[in-house]
Amino acid sequence: MRSLSEPNQARIADFTKKLNVLIVENNPVDCAMLSGMLSKSTFGSFRLKGTDTLKQSFHILKEGTWDVVLLDLNLKDSSGLDTLHKLHEKYSQIAIVVNTGVYQDSLGLQAITCGAQDYLIKGKYKAYGLVKALYYAVERKRAEEELKAAYNRLKETQAQLIQVEKMTVIGGLASGIAHEVKNPLATILYGVEFLNTKLTPTDPQIQLTLKSIREATQKANDIIKDLLDFASLSKLTMVPESINTVIEHSLNFTKHQCDKCGIKIDKFFANNLPHILLDKNRIEQVIVDLILNAILAMPQGGLITIRTLVKKYEKKDTEGSQTDTSHFQPSEDVILLDIEDTGSGIDPNNMSKVFDPFFTTRRAAGGVGLGLSIAKTIISSHNAIIMLTNYARGARARIIFKAERPT
Amino acid sequence: MNIYPEKKRILIIDDESGFTEMVKLNLEATGQYLVRAENNGVRAVDVALEYQPDLILLDIIMPGTDGTDICWSLREHEQLHHVPIIFLTATIRKNEVQDRPDDIGGYAFLAKPATIEELTKCIETHLNMNH
Repeated sequence: MRSLSEPNQARIADFTKKLNVLIVENNPVDCAMLSGMLSKSTFGSFRLKGTDTLKQSFHILKEGTWDVVLLDLNLKDSSGLDTLHKLHEKYSQIAIVVNTGVYQDSLGLQAITCGAQDYLIKGKYKAYGLVKALYYAVERKRAEEELKAAYNRLKETQAQLIQVEKMTVIGGLASGIAHEVKNPLATILYGVEFLNTKLTPTDPQIQLTLKSIREATQKANDIIKDLLDFASLSKLTMVPESINTVIEHSLNFTKHQCDKCGIKIDKFFANNLPHILLDKNRIEQVIVDLILNAILAMPQGGLITIRTLVKKYEKKDTEGSQTDTSHFQPSEDVILLDIEDTGSGIDPNNMSKVFDPFFTTRRAAGGVGLGLSIAKTIISSHNAIIMLTNYARGARARIIFKAERPT
Repeated sequence: MNIYPEKKRILIIDDESGFTEMVKLNLEATGQYLVRAENNGVRAVDVALEYQPDLILLDIIMPGTDGTDICWSLREHEQLHHVPIIFLTATIRKNEVQDRPDDIGGYAFLAKPATIEELTKCIETHLNMNH
């Protein structure tokens, strides 16, 4: 990656690079004049093309490679700064030099604010001035794009840091809370058990009260357990395992729930899968969570399809991924695990948030919003990818592991 | 003098008085045990000498002292070294206990909140092991 503070000297030292210039000019005489000026100039080298409408310019820009547009603001199909707006909006990566007969200081400055690199007044420049403006505009645009890219990288890194920080804070908090909350929970639990044995209640209201207290305590304990999962995610025991076996084991945990909710499981397991280096308990936890999510998405019952396969990685395998996929190279061996439900799918508005800690669509039903967030952390620590998308019949959870070659 | 010689004597050392009260109530309700609760970990060895328990339930994190230190003091004491100890703690989770059953010198662990059933089962096992 080239640093911003070290400009490429060779690139800006002279005007030898051939520039692709599109002249968008309402007046055919002006257009001919500009073309002549540039093609006869002893400075610079140009490939030129002209058009007199904005609409036509869009077509031309779509077709080839263009470095800079020399833009008249008042055309047959567009006028004023609107012309600039439209062009910049559609082709934000191309340098624009406004070339207009209207002289107004404020308009010129506005044009720069709106994304133009320079603002020329017709008849107020000579060939060298025009050439210089075009080359400078391209260089300014390039620097701007580079700055933008650097800014985006910085923003992305910052977002990742915030995420890590969030996890760390939650982790630290969790260990602290766990001890303080589990003691009173244990006291409540034992209190209820004692009352249960002593009272042998026949009064249904007392029975209900004791049952509610016990369930509430259990629920509170489950939440603490989820939080603690964050705190201990760094401790993974990685052993080569067959992913199919891990899935079968997870299905044992969820079988009862599936039966109860009228959900059928279809399995399509590849039998040629290489083993994957993984923490069995953690991956089981992820698969169980995904299956439970699928069950919750199908209150009327339905079908869960689980598929495993080994293949050469292609970009389209991770299309729509909520997380970074750049550590996977096209054509490397990967193992795909898909879990599909036939529920209502994920609300597109929530798609980018599903892995955020504490995001849940089931808050009212007692959801804490840590399940998928924990799943993502577990999967990331396996150097794998987890993603959620919608497909024709419902939602699809996909996990992609790197295939470990046996050593 | 033990006025219920058939009952096993359990000493629970934990700073949470509410918790120790509940453990005492539940265990004594079974009719199998006599329970003494001690909420000040520093006094653990003195109380154990006086009470002569058949088994000790021991918390790990307590203000002013540490369950593992108490454990060493008990183990090194000639009159107490034979008394089985079960750690009862909120600092670890159930599945971690199962994964590493002998994390602290081979002693038994119960993660809070363990059910009374789990607790009595664990106590039974360790009392029997000693006889």
